[in-house]
Amino acid sequence: MRHRRDSREDGETSGDTCRKGQTQTMTSSFPWFGMDIGGTLVKLVYFEPKDITAEEEQEEVENLKSIRRYLTSNIAYGTTGIRDVHLELQDLTLCGRKGNLHFIRFPTHDLPVFLQMGRNKHFSSLHTTLCATGGGAYKFENDFRTMADLQLHKLDELDCLVRGVLYIDSVMSSGPSECYYFENPTDPDHCVQKPYLLENPYPLLLVNIGSGVSILAVYSENNYKRVTGTSLGGGTFLGLCCLLTGCSTFEEALEMASEGESTRVDKLVRDIYGGDYERFGLPGWAVASSFGNMMSKEKRESVSKEDLARATLVTITNNIGSITRMCALNENIERVVFVGNFLRVNTLSMKLLAYAMDYWSKGQLKALFLRHEGYFGAVGALLELLHPS
Amino acid sequence: TSVQCDWCVAFPWFGMDIGGTLVKLVYFEPKDITAEEEQEEVENLKSIRRYLTSNIAYGTTGIRDVHLELQDLTLCGRKGNLHFIRFPTHDLPVFLQMGRNKHFSSLHTTLCATGGGAYKFENDFRTMADLQLHKLDELDCLVRGVLYIDSVMSSGPSECYYFENPTDPDHCVQKPYLLENPYPLLLVNIGSGVSILAVYSENNYKRVTGTSLGGGTFLGLCCLLTGCSTFEEALEMASEGESTRVDKLVRDIYGGDYERFGLPGWAVASSFGNMMSKEKRESVSKEDLARATLVTITNNIGSITRMCALNENIERVVFVGNFLRVNTLSMKLLAYAMDYWSKGQLKALFLRHEGYFGAVGALLELLHPS
Repeated sequence: MRHRRDSREDGETSGDTCRKGQTQTMTSSFPWFGMDIGGTLVKLVYFEPKDITAEEEQEEVENLKSIRRYLTSNIAYGTTGIRDVHLELQDLTLCGRKGNLHFIRFPTHDLPVFLQMGRNKHFSSLHTTLCATGGGAYKFENDFRTMADLQLHKLDELDCLVRGVLYIDSVMSSGPSECYYFENPTDPDHCVQKPYLLENPYPLLLVNIGSGVSILAVYSENNYKRVTGTSLGGGTFLGLCCLLTGCSTFEEALEMASEGESTRVDKLVRDIYGGDYERFGLPGWAVASSFGNMMSKEKRESVSKEDLARATLVTITNNIGSITRMCALNENIERVVFVGNFLRVNTLSMKLLAYAMDYWSKGQLKALFLRHEGYFGAVGALLELLHPS
Repeated sequence: TSVQCDWCVAFPWFGMDIGGTLVKLVYFEPKDITAEEEQEEVENLKSIRRYLTSNIAYGTTGIRDVHLELQDLTLCGRKGNLHFIRFPTHDLPVFLQMGRNKHFSSLHTTLCATGGGAYKFENDFRTMADLQLHKLDELDCLVRGVLYIDSVMSSGPSECYYFENPTDPDHCVQKPYLLENPYPLLLVNIGSGVSILAVYSENNYKRVTGTSLGGGTFLGLCCLLTGCSTFEEALEMASEGESTRVDKLVRDIYGGDYERFGLPGWAVASSFGNMMSKEKRESVSKEDLARATLVTITNNIGSITRMCALNENIERVVFVGNFLRVNTLSMKLLAYAMDYWSKGQLKALFLRHEGYFGAVGALLELLHPS
């Protein structure tokens, strides 16, 4: 069912995506979803309207009501679905409607379960467009159709990412600042998270660390390019950790890493030089060869699983940092924003990145982070639903 | 061409590169010794020469790469053979003991050494073998060694080569490459770790960047993941494995190509990405894991190299270092990656003397101090 909006001025509250003064006669019908089907996780954003009139409520079909209730009254779905309540954006105005934006995730591996649910709740009868991005929007397009009778509107993941980042950052929120950085990243006693005002964000280097990594240079709202990428990403960290330590989840891997010592596993500059390699500015504590000590049987037997997990995290993170620095240098961009679910509850990597950017660039580069980490693609997909470009 | 010296350094002539994993030693064996010289030659010098040239293995881990020997070389007006010897840095104490036993220090010769170990073990050389090292920077020596060896007119095989048709196993061939007018050149040294240099002229180069994911990472991870213990074992396993079972490819995520940004379905999206699944972990072999480790490390180096080449505006890339020793798999991967991702703009080149250039550079410093 489509909604006819009155011709009042919208866009009067900041953060509204509708252009100021423009009235729309038609808006997309509820429910409003944005979906990002990635290599490891499905990210879902759902807009829960809070300004439903009595009339609307009356006309509302049962399954739409049921979907809304199911999503908003639970914080866990099935065995692996999770709603990140701390990321909920309340009192948001989107396309003239007021409501809450919810952020939900579940493993891509469990997509069939999700599709079955969509089938059970007769989602397709709502005749709503489902905007989806990420590789899975292409890979599972047929499954959506055959299993849940749903037609996906497929969108490019990087278009959605950029759009989502720029939108969320622009939303005036009474909650914590979306963008932040770390002050004193190597000093555990004095390392603090500080808000960062990302106005005049361009040019920006956007590093998306998911299963793999994409690095984008963003010059303006509609002008960005994919500079490069690396296949050594979050999936590598988790895959290697599972193999090396026997763990099975991301959270377990992080837990182990937090208790380990990577310097036992890595060969440092001082292990080769006996100190610094001064000529080229390499301090003794810098890693010369990741996992380099592990070619020695004696050393292999002396390290713990926690040490291996830590070394894996440090290796992957520093490699991303190093590649990022090269890109920033070449693109002549000083601000780098790191997003993606590799950084979810991963303060260790964030601080490493913050330190590396600062140290190796001699203070020229600043590492920035965004609270909604891995959800920007899904947000961008939702925006495409509401404001087709 | 050889440079004539008015006087020359006393024999023996050595160049040494003490790296993170291996010690590389080059030794010049004079073949033009006159009867008079032979008479005057001290016993331990003769003994050292005989020991080195009549063996191809030393102790349990020392090896002389005979296939790399350069014969009839003229250095500083002397004619002879250049020998290439390596042993694990771990066994340096054994080498020092040998130097002590053979009274090497009584020869009062300068021992030119480079690599981190020249700094780290400087004291050990002095206390254990009474030897004073002349320490040299490893990258200075590397560049010098590469430019020299490439210039040596040799009747043997060409020093520099490349791969034609790197992804077609039936038609992939090694072809000689004439590296004249070598500048500018991107030099990628893959040892325990990696250094990437831009070389503009004989005396002008800069270290562009490096990465800690190098040969030591490949070997270390392989030992952990497969239980192997040597580089050769790791390579053997890798040659029998299938990395696509271990890695998550673009097609695993997209169901095909990611056309928008030119990523083919067979490209790796997430190295080891399939290993987060218990089912998949149980279905891969040690050989698959070794292969995936090799592919991951090699492609990461290739990717970083490409970015450097692009930024430095250099089209020719020379890969050296002992990670590539008997490692045709990595060489072909690098050759392919350079060509494919640059759409034919970049050419990957390789040198036969792989990991010995630092040691050669050290020897040259002994003979022609800069």
